[in-house]
Amino acid sequence: MAEPLALQRALAALVLDPEGEAFEGDPAAFARSHGLPEADAQSFQQFSGGLAAYRELARLSLLDPIETMFPITRALLEREGAWGSCVEAFLQARCVASRHYRDIAPAFLGWLAETGWGQATWPFLLELAHAEILEVLVARFPEADPPPGLHPDPGPRDRLVLDVATQVVSYRHAVHRVSEAAPVPEVRPTHLLAYRDAEGRAQLMDLTPAAAALLTRAQTESLAEATAALGLTDLPATLSLLRELRDRGALAGFLAAS
Amino acid sequence: MALGRFMGVGLGLRRPHLEAVLARPDHGVPFWETCPENVIGDGGRPHRDACAILDRDPVLTHGLAISVGGFDPWDGDYLRDLGRFLVRTGTPWHSEHLCFTSVDGNSLHELLPLPFTREAVRHTVARARDLQAHLPVPLLLENITYYAELGRAEMDEAAFITEVLEGADVGWLLDVNNVYVNALNFGFDPKAWLARMPLDRVAQLHIAGHKRFGALTVDTHGAEVIDPVIELMQWTLARLGRPVPVLLERDNHIPDLEDLLAERSRLQAAYDEVLAVPIGGGRG
Repeated sequence: MAEPLALQRALAALVLDPEGEAFEGDPAAFARSHGLPEADAQSFQQFSGGLAAYRELARLSLLDPIETMFPITRALLEREGAWGSCVEAFLQARCVASRHYRDIAPAFLGWLAETGWGQATWPFLLELAHAEILEVLVARFPEADPPPGLHPDPGPRDRLVLDVATQVVSYRHAVHRVSEAAPVPEVRPTHLLAYRDAEGRAQLMDLTPAAAALLTRAQTESLAEATAALGLTDLPATLSLLRELRDRGALAGFLAAS
Repeated sequence: MALGRFMGVGLGLRRPHLEAVLARPDHGVPFWETCPENVIGDGGRPHRDACAILDRDPVLTHGLAISVGGFDPWDGDYLRDLGRFLVRTGTPWHSEHLCFTSVDGNSLHELLPLPFTREAVRHTVARARDLQAHLPVPLLLENITYYAELGRAEMDEAAFITEVLEGADVGWLLDVNNVYVNALNFGFDPKAWLARMPLDRVAQLHIAGHKRFGALTVDTHGAEVIDPVIELMQWTLARLGRPVPVLLERDNHIPDLEDLLAERSRLQAAYDEVLAVPIGGGRG
């Protein structure tokens, strides 16, 4: 009989790898191809139906959060006949390391980013997937204490501190305007502020390029320096906007810039 | 630890019900069961609601993905977080499944069966003992539903579970629905199976719904508990001769909270009936 680890590896391969598709054609041969001795190969033959069920059940577990979280990406790739090969490649890459079920969908996004899968054909694919999951990532971002010394009203010599869950993102495509029926975005630089409101719910706000640049630069420069560098001449209006973003929960507050 | 507050029939705390449960402290559920993997490291409104409930109500903890029978090393950071979480909740024990869930660092997010072999017993006993040493509360192991033996067996499931529980000297979370489903799939008498088992180690029961797909019955946690499983729960409680907490699991096709509370009340009545005297949190 094989060592338990060899048997576990064989079952993992049955679940994750493409050759698992043909398992039921010759279960014993599948076992032998994974180095299992004859007694175990015969057991795989005897319990082939139940073992095949594990392929289906585990794949359901792994793919359900992806299909739920990326409905537009799925609609696009299904329309192109590529969704099946996409998820096969993802499963075969074996990049779901986390025990947290909520991490499966981010693992899919990470796999898209690392491999560039499909992006030669659909250059917006990674941005689309990112936009689909953005609000969930923001909504569930773990709480953390803000840095000490924050104050609520911005001054010209302050820098801003984003709330821990807030993200400022820039895309080359208008990926937040697509739908399952029309999943291809237009090429248009897009800047978004994703933040968690006082109720803990994710909110999305369109930003002008200047506002996106300000929210990025003013995390390390004083507001006076950042607005000057960006050619924003109406500092009181800028401070008013930042005060509003702080009230909405997008900003944690302000600190004196060093 | 006063175990009295953990008697009766509890419910799994599920995300769609968090707001409603938090808003009504008079829900009548004697205790909740929560999965630490779903709480630790999470954030946002549902997380805050879950933590508020866990701080307010009695809680048991039940892990899904620590891979007790696997070979991947423990995640030390996670075990540390888990230990803190268990202390915070005040759970009298922590349960995990007698299975493996990850291989070579890849999490499969499915409860996969261990080989019924002496080597697998030896390995799992060592792992369970080591895990117990890392936890601040006693460890329970739960029998799973399995759909196939993994490799040539040297013993049957009952002997495998018994040897692991005895060898690791841990308690048993007895899932009566899993016994029932395994009995259907493998053609044995669930009561005769239970009669062979070390029932003195049982600290908690699980009960749930299942569904038949072709030749296979699957532990879906997606339907109401059927009468034969309730009867098996009652038979088991009578055989134990002592009250233990029963947890109704529902993870798919999750109904409205009111419907789930009604099902819990039905199970509570069955629980009280067999134990003659109502125990614990009463009927919701």
